Amino acid sequence: MMKVIKRFYLALVLAFLYVPIVVLIVQSFNAGKSRAKWEGFSLRWYEELFRDPDIIKSLLITLSIALLAALFATIIGTLAAIGIHAMRKRPQSIMLTLNNIPMTMPDIVTGISLMLLFIFTQVERGFVTMLLAHITFDIPYVILSVMPKLQQMNKHTYEAALDLGATPGYALFHVILPEIVPGVVTGAMLAFTLSLDDFTISYFTTSPLVQNLSTLIYSQARKGIKPTMNALSALMFIALLILLLLVNKRTRDEE
Amino acid sequence: MTSFQVPGWGYVLMAVGFAAFIALLIAYIVVNRGFKRPVFASPYVLWIIVFTVIPCLLVAYFSFTDPAGNFTLDNFKSFWDANYNTRKGIDPALLQQYQDMGLSLDDLGLGRNPINIDTLVFSLWMAFLCTAICLLLGYPAAHIMADREFRLGPTLVVLFVVPMWMNFLLRTIALMSIMEDGGLINTVLNWLGFGPAKLLNTTAAVQVGMVYNFLPFMVFPIYNVLNKMDYQLSEAAMDLGCNKWKIFYKVTLPLSIPGVVSGITMVFMPAVTTFYISRLLGGGKVQLFGDLIEAKFLSTSLNEWNVGSALSLVMMVLILLSLGLLQKADPKGEGGGII
Amino acid sequence: MVENEHLIDLKHICKNYDGVTVLDDINLYIRKKEFVTLLGPSGCGKTTTLRIIGGFETPTSGEVLFEGSEISQLPPYKRRVNTVFQKYALFPHLNVHDNIAFGLKIKKMAKGEIDKRVDAMLELVNLKGYGKRRVDALSGGQQQRVAIARSLVNEPEVLLLDEPLGALDLKLRKGMQLELKRMQQHLGITFLYVTHDQEEALTMSDTIVVMREGKILQIGDPKHIYDEPANAFVADFIGESNILRGTMVRDELVRFAGREFPCVDFGFGENVPVDVVVRPEDVMLVGEDVGQIVGTIRSVLFKGVHYEMMIDCGETTFKVHSTTMQPQGSRVGLSIVPFNIHIMKPMATAQAQEEAAAT
Repeated sequence: MMKVIKRFYLALVLAFLYVPIVVLIVQSFNAGKSRAKWEGFSLRWYEELFRDPDIIKSLLITLSIALLAALFATIIGTLAAIGIHAMRKRPQSIMLTLNNIPMTMPDIVTGISLMLLFIFTQVERGFVTMLLAHITFDIPYVILSVMPKLQQMNKHTYEAALDLGATPGYALFHVILPEIVPGVVTGAMLAFTLSLDDFTISYFTTSPLVQNLSTLIYSQARKGIKPTMNALSALMFIALLILLLLVNKRTRDEE
Repeated sequence: MTSFQVPGWGYVLMAVGFAAFIALLIAYIVVNRGFKRPVFASPYVLWIIVFTVIPCLLVAYFSFTDPAGNFTLDNFKSFWDANYNTRKGIDPALLQQYQDMGLSLDDLGLGRNPINIDTLVFSLWMAFLCTAICLLLGYPAAHIMADREFRLGPTLVVLFVVPMWMNFLLRTIALMSIMEDGGLINTVLNWLGFGPAKLLNTTAAVQVGMVYNFLPFMVFPIYNVLNKMDYQLSEAAMDLGCNKWKIFYKVTLPLSIPGVVSGITMVFMPAVTTFYISRLLGGGKVQLFGDLIEAKFLSTSLNEWNVGSALSLVMMVLILLSLGLLQKADPKGEGGGII
Repeated sequence: MVENEHLIDLKHICKNYDGVTVLDDINLYIRKKEFVTLLGPSGCGKTTTLRIIGGFETPTSGEVLFEGSEISQLPPYKRRVNTVFQKYALFPHLNVHDNIAFGLKIKKMAKGEIDKRVDAMLELVNLKGYGKRRVDALSGGQQQRVAIARSLVNEPEVLLLDEPLGALDLKLRKGMQLELKRMQQHLGITFLYVTHDQEEALTMSDTIVVMREGKILQIGDPKHIYDEPANAFVADFIGESNILRGTMVRDELVRFAGREFPCVDFGFGENVPVDVVVRPEDVMLVGEDVGQIVGTIRSVLFKGVHYEMMIDCGETTFKVHSTTMQPQGSRVGLSIVPFNIHIMKPMATAQAQEEAAAT
């Protein structure tokens, strides 16, 4: 009896979390505009979605920002992880604390502080500023994904390579990198996902002219939800879900 | 398709800084005839300084200056009294005139306006409620999933982890869509004969939205701690004569405190700082501290940015305090990482 | 010693980590084709010394000379020494052949030549035909051989080995000791070996350097170190010892355990406190009537080759090794020949014993 109650409770909590999302996805296939009445299955809103130039533009911006941010964050983050890993205890713990700041800081503060930086230096907000902001919040997660791989490595492997005549650069590419590749890939995927996912920081670091999907949805949703927005949200949900499950599986497999 | 803007002197500054960094790096390598691995972290150090440390300092700088760049505490006075700056902008002689005519400051709409501090208090209260509800809902859920005999537990946890990373905006919109006047809930209510209810644009709707968004952050750390707990402890307790309830409050509960504290901070912090949940579900009728800050920064008046920075600084201090608390209660980070 | 016979010279090497002194004025030379062992308890600085020679650490002060030229600032990849690391540090993404070929590839050697040398090495370490295997599919002993081959294939002037056998089980370790010695003699390469295992040091080395707390206590060949330990710490660390407080009555006469013993040491002065070291196997058990002192056997342990007995003689307890067993509780006479009594200046005996026991 207790068992049944427990499972029922768990099912209720999960329903609370997932019913809105499922309903939203179902609605996106509804032929009619009504939210309450099912008027038959249709891809009408999806077609409209891909005919909307604003949405296509935002989609391209979102994807190019996510790709570029993931790329830069992965390069800087991987190098940083290798550097931090090789540091002595003291500077290492300082770096790890610094690395935690952007992750623990609420998005709104990160967004505002970056916005102030751009205003203060008179850089007009737009694509580049949003990209810089995304790289900034992506790097710590790349480091977080790469670090465990480095810690698993025998700490003398790098020294062994130097000992056998490899220069630090050669050792980096031929000894360290091959071993941490799985972590680097996970980090890149995570960075890409987070960048696709981000709303708050983008909101403060871009201009209304350069919108990514999240900020576009927000500006539209304030006026009420159009059915095309349902379709767009549904698509993003599915994409994010797949990416997140992939990242989650990778991190589990690596452990 | 992307619009690149005219570079301000910020870009020039960045270019100069970057060049200086490269020059320093090369000089270092030449002087040391090679380099050691910690040097690999230098680009990131530069990045942190430019995009994390300096922006934070800027928030502090703006908080303590007026638009002309002079030091002032007015922004914090505005925190106490939102009309402070307006009043200061009015010629005192004019004010005196009005007062001589028998009009008080309040009559002029220039009296003390406590909206900022009131909003903060309201936000804290909402966040506190949200945290309490999440704890009450989340602890049992985590406990059920951490049960060793419940084989599905580790799989179901993923269902809690995924929303932690998923766009909050999208999830809020999903919630908004079922709570709308013609949404699912109202359809069901209608069908049951309870008539349509106004669900959106209420404080309750905002509260539901906050719980909906942040519940996973409570469940996961508690699950993590409970899951890692040595099950032999409860067997030992049983062996020593504890019944199920006694085991729970004598063994399980005390040992899960680090997870609970982790969960509390992880829910409380975003709950205090959120702004779009209240905007979307409260329809502008419910204002939280985050909305206030957002409004200040979206305003075109320069002065408002300074006040907004001051408000942000207050928020950052609050968050540092709760992080310190977390550090104290869970020094080993047992509550678990986010992944 | 003629200076130019030295392959490596360490001169006044000091090393501090954040204010903690790890090495304190180390002076040491290593000759060509010599098998030198740095021996000491953990934390004595032996690994740091090795890493300074390998180029992984820079000394805080002092000079490292290689064939007479200073190399302490030279990075590891420019030194003609190679290291075998404690846990092998094989490259997990490369197979056995590619691990061994790593250094040769960096030297841009022709592929045919590389293959030839790698095969020769595999044969030397008894791993013929293992070239294509993954390194993590090998046993600990086999990984060890690959690590050695990977270093030796570069024909280093000196091979540095940092507790290379530490992770192997006892039987494998004994076998590898002999094999390492064989390789060293066969190839004529200088070995600098780090271990905390005194037996290993005694078995393999031409020269043993005993270290403690960042200082060198004694340098000498194994027999010399065992028979003539420089102080009580060395005596206790190398082999087992009875370390007793005594008084030098005059030259060639020492008083300990309640009576005077003739010995062969002189030059300490008269009525001077000293440490007396007697090896357990040097105490002879004789009849109660003929012994220099008499004691009661407190305990007897069978140790395989011999019996270990603790014998109470008044205030003093002797540890004695003997191949004949005496029953517990029986009274025996003890006798020590003058030659086997080692007298040394006292150095906080009790403290040294405690530390030696702790390691």
